[in-house]
Amino acid sequence: MRNLLIKEMRLSASVLSFIFVVFGVMFLIPGYPILCGTFFSCLGIFQSFQNAREANDLVFSALLPVSKQDVARGKVLFACIIELSTLALMAIVTAVRMTVLADAPVYRGNALMNANPFALGVALLLFGLFNLIFIAGFFKTSYKFAKPFVTYIIVTFLVIGIAEALHHIPSLEALNAFGFSHLPLQLGLLSAGVVCYIALTGLALKSSAASFEETDL
Amino acid sequence: MEIVTIDGLTKRYPGFTLDAASFSLSAGRIAGFIGRNGAGKTTTIKSMLNLVHPDNGRISYFGMPLIGNEAQIKKRIGYSTGTISWYPRKKIRTIRDVTKRFYDSWDDATYERYLRLFALDEDKTPLELSEGMKVKCNLLFALSHGAEALILDEPTSGLDPFSRDELLELFEQIRDSGVAIFFSTHIISDIEKCADDIIYISKGRIAAACPKEEFADRYQEPGETLENAFLRLERSAQDA
Repeated sequence: MRNLLIKEMRLSASVLSFIFVVFGVMFLIPGYPILCGTFFSCLGIFQSFQNAREANDLVFSALLPVSKQDVARGKVLFACIIELSTLALMAIVTAVRMTVLADAPVYRGNALMNANPFALGVALLLFGLFNLIFIAGFFKTSYKFAKPFVTYIIVTFLVIGIAEALHHIPSLEALNAFGFSHLPLQLGLLSAGVVCYIALTGLALKSSAASFEETDL
Repeated sequence: MEIVTIDGLTKRYPGFTLDAASFSLSAGRIAGFIGRNGAGKTTTIKSMLNLVHPDNGRISYFGMPLIGNEAQIKKRIGYSTGTISWYPRKKIRTIRDVTKRFYDSWDDATYERYLRLFALDEDKTPLELSEGMKVKCNLLFALSHGAEALILDEPTSGLDPFSRDELLELFEQIRDSGVAIFFSTHIISDIEKCADDIIYISKGRIAAACPKEEFADRYQEPGETLENAFLRLERSAQDA
């Protein structure tokens, strides 16, 4: 699998996949739907899929001495590396906002979602949805990516909209916690995000591998 | 020694069926796989590489079925085509660095030797290579990992007569080192020049699979060239 990941990074990946990791820093922008950072990171991964298709990467990979299923798994794991790198950046920014900038007026007066563990949990959910909707959807045919990508866009902005709105509902204000307030709830929600990511990515891995195995190239 | 055995390979598409194709390939021999466009050559080759899934039939390499031993078998075979270029904008050097990681048997000395023989520049990208050089580039990778069988899909298509001749001579050199070569073509003179065995496919069926001399005895009429024999056979197949 290590060799497949190296192949992904050196031959198939678009440089945008790596550059767009920087969009994790969007967690620092006040008055902006910060979860959109996940969308840009996934857009970078999408560029790699486009690149791979144009470079005949799937056929090249299927001819390598690895199983076809591992080729698909390699692509999902490459996406995970980009996503988790973006998440790491988001986590660093979140830590800064929870400590040094906890009382910054620019964030206190922000009507939109605050950067906190709940936001990171939602980011994980969104990355998991990308893996299941886009990547597993792409491997249904191994060449069509418009439909799975458009479906992902609709779902992701719907989830972002809901996540942004939730803390305005009475009794759900704690979702928008500042600093270390409501920490047990916040960490619980982050854990739920981790579980969702693992479950959705696991399903994406299984579905992508099975679909690619069955695909005639 | 039989390196590859295909038995009853069947693949159905709407409007076309590859019908129970059977043949075998031996070490140190060149098999020319001939048939007109749409006869089933690429479907056969793709099935042999597990790129498409046959509906029926068995494919085995080195006495092992392809299904279940795919990774192990692919370490010992090489594939080349003149029609696709991999990673057109990546340098050959980069493609080599990544590809060699997958093969325990990769030999840098062999790679360097063929690189010089083929006069390939590692700093070029496949996009910058001519069709003939692309085929040579693919062969370079296959030979550097010690492939014992080469499966080549229309390697001479689009080549000028000089490059074609050069490539066919190269096949003979590779064959003499004990490698089994299987190449598809619709150019009969390629078969005449270097094939030891002829596998002739027509309308999805293997019409003949035998040594070239036996083919001449069985199918060529007195004084008839191989090209005319194929044209006659193909015409009668189309009329049937």
